[in-house]
Amino acid sequence: MTLSRRAFNKLALGAGLAAPSHIIRPAAAQEPKKGDELVVGIWGGAQEKIVKEHVEKPLVEKYGCKVSYVLGGTGDRRARAYAERGRPSFDVIYLNIYESRQAVKDGVTQAPTPAVKNFEALYPSARKGGYGVAFNPCTIVYDKRKASKPITSWKDMWNPEWKGRIAWPDGLGAEGISALMMTARAWGGTEKDFDLVVDKVKELKPFAAIQASQAQLFEMFDQGLCDLSVEFGSFTRSYVESRNPNIEIASPAEGQALAMNVACITEGTKNQKLAEEWINLHLSEPCMLAYAREIYYSPTVSNVTVPDDLKPKLILGDEQVSKLVDFDWDVINASRAKWQARYDREIAG
Amino acid sequence: MNRWIGPALAAPVTLWLLLSFAAPMLVVLVLSLHEYPDPFGPIFMAPSLAQYSDIVSDGFYYGVVSETVLLGIGVTVLTALLGYPLAHWLARMPVKYRALAFSVILIPLLTNVVVRSLGIILLLAPEGLINTVTGFFGIPPARNMLFTHGAVAVALAQVFLPFMVLALYDNLQNTSPRVHEAAESLGASPAVRFLTVDLPLSLPGLRSGAIIVFLMASTAYVSATLLGGKKVWTTGMLVLQEAIKNLNAPLASALAVTMTITSLAFAALCTVALNRLMPWLKARPSRPLSIPRWLVPVIDILGPVVSKLLLVAALLLLLLPLVLVCVQSFNDVPQATAAGFRGFTLKWYEQVFFAGTYADAFWVSVKLAVTSMLVAIALALPAAFALARFPFKGRSVLLAFWLLPLSLPHVAIGVGMLRLLQLYLMIPPFLGLVAIHVIVILPFAITLLTTSVMALDRAQEEAASSLGANPIRRFLLVIMPGLAPGLFAAGIVGFLLSFGEVTVTSFLTTARLTTLPVRIYAESTFSLEPTAHAISAVLILFTVIALTLVGRVVRLDRLYAR
Repeated sequence: MTLSRRAFNKLALGAGLAAPSHIIRPAAAQEPKKGDELVVGIWGGAQEKIVKEHVEKPLVEKYGCKVSYVLGGTGDRRARAYAERGRPSFDVIYLNIYESRQAVKDGVTQAPTPAVKNFEALYPSARKGGYGVAFNPCTIVYDKRKASKPITSWKDMWNPEWKGRIAWPDGLGAEGISALMMTARAWGGTEKDFDLVVDKVKELKPFAAIQASQAQLFEMFDQGLCDLSVEFGSFTRSYVESRNPNIEIASPAEGQALAMNVACITEGTKNQKLAEEWINLHLSEPCMLAYAREIYYSPTVSNVTVPDDLKPKLILGDEQVSKLVDFDWDVINASRAKWQARYDREIAG
Repeated sequence: MNRWIGPALAAPVTLWLLLSFAAPMLVVLVLSLHEYPDPFGPIFMAPSLAQYSDIVSDGFYYGVVSETVLLGIGVTVLTALLGYPLAHWLARMPVKYRALAFSVILIPLLTNVVVRSLGIILLLAPEGLINTVTGFFGIPPARNMLFTHGAVAVALAQVFLPFMVLALYDNLQNTSPRVHEAAESLGASPAVRFLTVDLPLSLPGLRSGAIIVFLMASTAYVSATLLGGKKVWTTGMLVLQEAIKNLNAPLASALAVTMTITSLAFAALCTVALNRLMPWLKARPSRPLSIPRWLVPVIDILGPVVSKLLLVAALLLLLLPLVLVCVQSFNDVPQATAAGFRGFTLKWYEQVFFAGTYADAFWVSVKLAVTSMLVAIALALPAAFALARFPFKGRSVLLAFWLLPLSLPHVAIGVGMLRLLQLYLMIPPFLGLVAIHVIVILPFAITLLTTSVMALDRAQEEAASSLGANPIRRFLLVIMPGLAPGLFAAGIVGFLLSFGEVTVTSFLTTARLTTLPVRIYAESTFSLEPTAHAISAVLILFTVIALTLVGRVVRLDRLYAR
């Protein structure tokens, strides 16, 4: 470069003085002040509405703070948080089970601590890589009018009647990983047999589409663009009940795939206390029950009394959770880049 | 006259470009020579060609790059086909209506690309407009128009058609009426005259239009992501994914450099090929174009029909998506991309105006656009004076440098600036965004203001001077009022360009600093409600009003005149 770093810094500083002052405001103190802004990265749609009602409202009442949301899939926020390590613009980000554990290892987010009061009530499996906030398994969802017989196994996806009608989940998100790993299990492999996975999934091509979110998938169902996909059973149930009774949520013999949403506090956040309070409120009974009632997400804390009518639709307690198919996340995390590359090349496109 | 005035006036803009354009480009070059990605490592490492050998040896990259190039060529051909009738129509338009007609191009041009792509989705969706219309005639619906290369090509053509039209218009409009009279007196019908006279004479315009459209189309990723549904891959998408999602800056940089080289190679090829068709430019003898006699009647019959059909297609392509966006903003559907009208509602507007959805992002966009516009004008004005009044050696080289951002992929600047911001944590992200937005505006601001300065009446300044006005008074009381229309036009165009920018901006936004179009784009890849269409409809209205205002002080067709 033609310019020395010091000279560049000086220049940047000079120019920085000209920028609006509130944008370069220095760090706020630890104890929450009125007007502090908590930035939360979370999924849009129903989840946004629930946390606005049951987390944001009490938090704002208590501290007079402001909450901003960045909505979207976990891929984007995970990447932003990594890119901003040391200068996080997020305070709380919601990640998938495997992303959260890796993020703690990489120094991007904090490990959970009892500073969050409800930490004590978390099931042990929800205390890794952050604070687990919901169990929600992934499974096959399909249009039952198009099925010659109900789907009872992950292998049924290979039934020729679905050819060209599958919306495969995008990349290595929760749904994507579930679909890929259950393919391995169903065809007699393990996480280490990615060759087998790719070969089998390639047999399913061409796909009707690649779906990047529930919202997109449900719309494809509405518009008749596809007939089958892999998605959260919880979310799909509320879609079935409110919009489209033709969709069936399969319970394959091999089991449904374990997935968990995890709330994580970024390393270096300037709103530590607010972030902890936020998560504590998320783990509180009103919020957990709202999640359970509206989108059938199962609570991760043991101190919630679930109404009887909801019990059959949820996964309650560590015992039921342990029946879901769990994967070797270390293998998955270690192979991530390699798998993503192969996904792009051989499965998408 | 002091010979240092010119270079001094040219210095600020040059310095800005060095810092925020040349520096990121250099960073990209350096990064592309890294052996392995290290997101937190230093910029300078021992150079290695590992990334490039990866790209060359991996069939996947090869496939994506060639697919992107083919897509770019397809879009270029499509815009040329649709652009000629439209540009011809504009050039023949009576001056009275020309400003109005020009808004047909300018409104889409200044509306952000995300909104326009959303409009195209509503056009092509299974229950979208095309299928609804064909349904009336009993034609079965084509359910698979979305998520194809065709859909992406149509969307890109929509987005870049205005650039082609502007380039062609420049040329078509400058053809002297006498040339047409000569052709007519020699017996040429309008269709034959177009093919033998207008077409060859407009080749320089086609050349610059083709180069710009190809460059932009081959680096675009927004439309490709939205309409390709991840089934269509372009190099731009790969760069974004590697830089943001996989944190592999070296690979992203190497891909960006590959992209730049491919684009420049295409530009060179295009120039050479079209120049060979124009030997008269180099004063070489040219063979007159002649059309076989038997073909003339066919052309005379088909010509008007085909050109009218293409004109209608071009107008529909430009305007329909925007209309659909406005209609969708009143549609009672759960998701923004769900086509088919279900019921009238005002709830999306309610959310925009009363619940404050998008308010934060909107204000960030406004602040960013105002700041960038003011900085760009402050830099461009002295440069315009340097160009128009104080000629100095190397001026044309410098001008080429100033206009360079227009013809290099913006994605590359995004990758470089992202890395600079990660390294120099003390640079506020807002400043990084301003730096880039100024670069996007500068080429337009410089050309606009230079024409304005050249049009100033020197006699007025001399008169003021003879009456005893000092230079400052002359500048404030004589020059500035004379420049007002130009400044106003540059201001509005600059504002709108910055306000709608997505390509580079989405590399540099943070959770606390997101612009409106980037937020809509990010949400549209996950879950988007028609609130986005409501705010877009407001923005379209706002653009129309802004252009009407501009139209009162400047002739709209001059906005892009070179």
